Amino acid sequence: MRVRFWGVRGSLPVPGAKTERYGGNTSCVEVRSAAGTRVVVDAGTGIRKLGKELAGEGEAGRARVHLLISHTHWDHIQGLPYFAPLYQRGNKMTVYARKRDDLHLQAVFASQTHDPYFPVPFAEADAAIEFTELTDAAKFSIDDVKVACARLNHPYIATAYRLTVDGASVVYVSDTAPFSDILFEDEFVARPPSPGAELPAKDRQKLARMREGVVRLCEGADLVIYDTMFTPEDYQRIPHYGHSRPMDAVDICGEAGATRLALFHHAPERTDAEVDAILAETRATAARSSRKLDVVAAYEGLEVELGKG
Amino acid sequence: MGGFGDPPGVPIMKIGFWGVRGSIPAPGPATVRYGGNTACVSLRPDAAGKDGRLIILDCGTGARNLGIGLMEGAFGKGGGEASILLSHAHWDHIQGFPFFVPLYQPGNKFHIFGGAKSSAMLEGILEGQMAPQYFPVQTLKNMGATIDIVAIAEGKTFEVERCQVRARMNPHGRAGALAFRIEEGGRTVVYASDAGYAAGGPPADSIELYRGADVLIHDSTYTPEDKKRYADRGYSSVEDAVAAAIAAQVKRLVLFHYDQDYADADVDALCARGRRLLDERGGRDIELIGAVEGSTLDV
Repeated sequence: MRVRFWGVRGSLPVPGAKTERYGGNTSCVEVRSAAGTRVVVDAGTGIRKLGKELAGEGEAGRARVHLLISHTHWDHIQGLPYFAPLYQRGNKMTVYARKRDDLHLQAVFASQTHDPYFPVPFAEADAAIEFTELTDAAKFSIDDVKVACARLNHPYIATAYRLTVDGASVVYVSDTAPFSDILFEDEFVARPPSPGAELPAKDRQKLARMREGVVRLCEGADLVIYDTMFTPEDYQRIPHYGHSRPMDAVDICGEAGATRLALFHHAPERTDAEVDAILAETRATAARSSRKLDVVAAYEGLEVELGKG
Repeated sequence: MGGFGDPPGVPIMKIGFWGVRGSIPAPGPATVRYGGNTACVSLRPDAAGKDGRLIILDCGTGARNLGIGLMEGAFGKGGGEASILLSHAHWDHIQGFPFFVPLYQPGNKFHIFGGAKSSAMLEGILEGQMAPQYFPVQTLKNMGATIDIVAIAEGKTFEVERCQVRARMNPHGRAGALAFRIEEGGRTVVYASDAGYAAGGPPADSIELYRGADVLIHDSTYTPEDKKRYADRGYSSVEDAVAAAIAAQVKRLVLFHYDQDYADADVDALCARGRRLLDERGGRDIELIGAVEGSTLDV
């Protein structure tokens, strides 16, 4: 299978000279099996360029896209209205995301393109679009690709996906906080927990189970793509924003026996030089552990081939 | 440019360009010179910023960098106050709002003006962007700053930061977008983004709003050829911008809101085309500027 990174940034797109090398577009990763099944994870602004490629690749009018959404915060869906295949008759897209109590998935996307926010309502898109709602630990198949899910620790809850095909597995873990200091559900967390505050036992158990679920999802994976938006200093200051540090990802990969880690969802303020430094530091940390872990900092345009070729 | 500074008794307005792109931010090496952030312009009626007055035109992603800079002054201490004028609520004009840091500092005050049938509806539009399924802060009420929101009556003059402001709804595809004329002490800045005129070009009442402006910041999304191709999207070509500037006899025309797929070289060509069209069509005296992210302009 081939994994391509179209957007690697978190929060909002950041154009400019300081983000030129790693890229300023928000989250979007494409996975394509040898047989041609196309699964896209998240629809940040990076999906626009993928859409242009699809529209011009001889697939116009017969493109088939399966879109897995980790959660519907803007940086994971804001590129979708600019995804050209939506406006070509004959194309088909299925959108998958976690089922919510309060809103149907279709309603979340319908209001994104509703007047007065966007000129073309979703209902008028020419492609056939379906929505599939998922449970926290769903397992299903998309043609030759096997998909497994796990719940993440993020405000309003996010989903991690493991995709297995062609004898290899890639896991997408974004966005999530570590599973230690705050249990995120649907409530707004106004301020960081006071240092040293004990969590209620119920929350601690729930977080431990959630972490276990993520470790199992990453078990023996060939590539883990992980939200490492925070430096340790960021985490001290704003743990209630719901993102992880590189060391959290290294720990999870170590326990799961994963062989490769892509640092992902870079903070908008992170310059290329800073990402370089974080990568070097994370590689050094990974080298000290007993298991071998290859680390890369995801950049726009990065392609990784996994499994049998 | 340095030098001797402003002559005494001649106040100068200062315009800052924070996002000059249309539709969706366009990061990447191809847009580094003009910039890839979406629409956001600041206006200081007093250039030196001594009296602190600040007007912000639209809140595309460029608003993030504006906000970061503002936090170094009064806004960082909760003592800042500004007015935000929204042309319309398409994403590229509001998507920087949740990332405008001064909104999270208690004590800061913001007055938001935009087009809607009622102030409550305008508030609802902004709340829609903050809703929990889309953004972790969940509501404007969690942001911290004091925010009041006022729907604008088209055509009436109202006061914003002690400047006289008049708004007019330009056609913009199926919707409309407000253009703003901002005046103080004989200086006039007009902001007209997202203007999709009918085939005859800018209508008389748009021209009347732009008339004699010192600076006209005008939608110039497309080349004339691309405008033909995408006519239904409701944007101006550089030709429309030139026609508006000549008819309204403005002093300076600033091209703005470039298409997301235009690389720096394409925007260079767009500006050159605008200059040529001005010269050919009787606008030789009008100065033409292509808006550049991070740049300022004195009026």
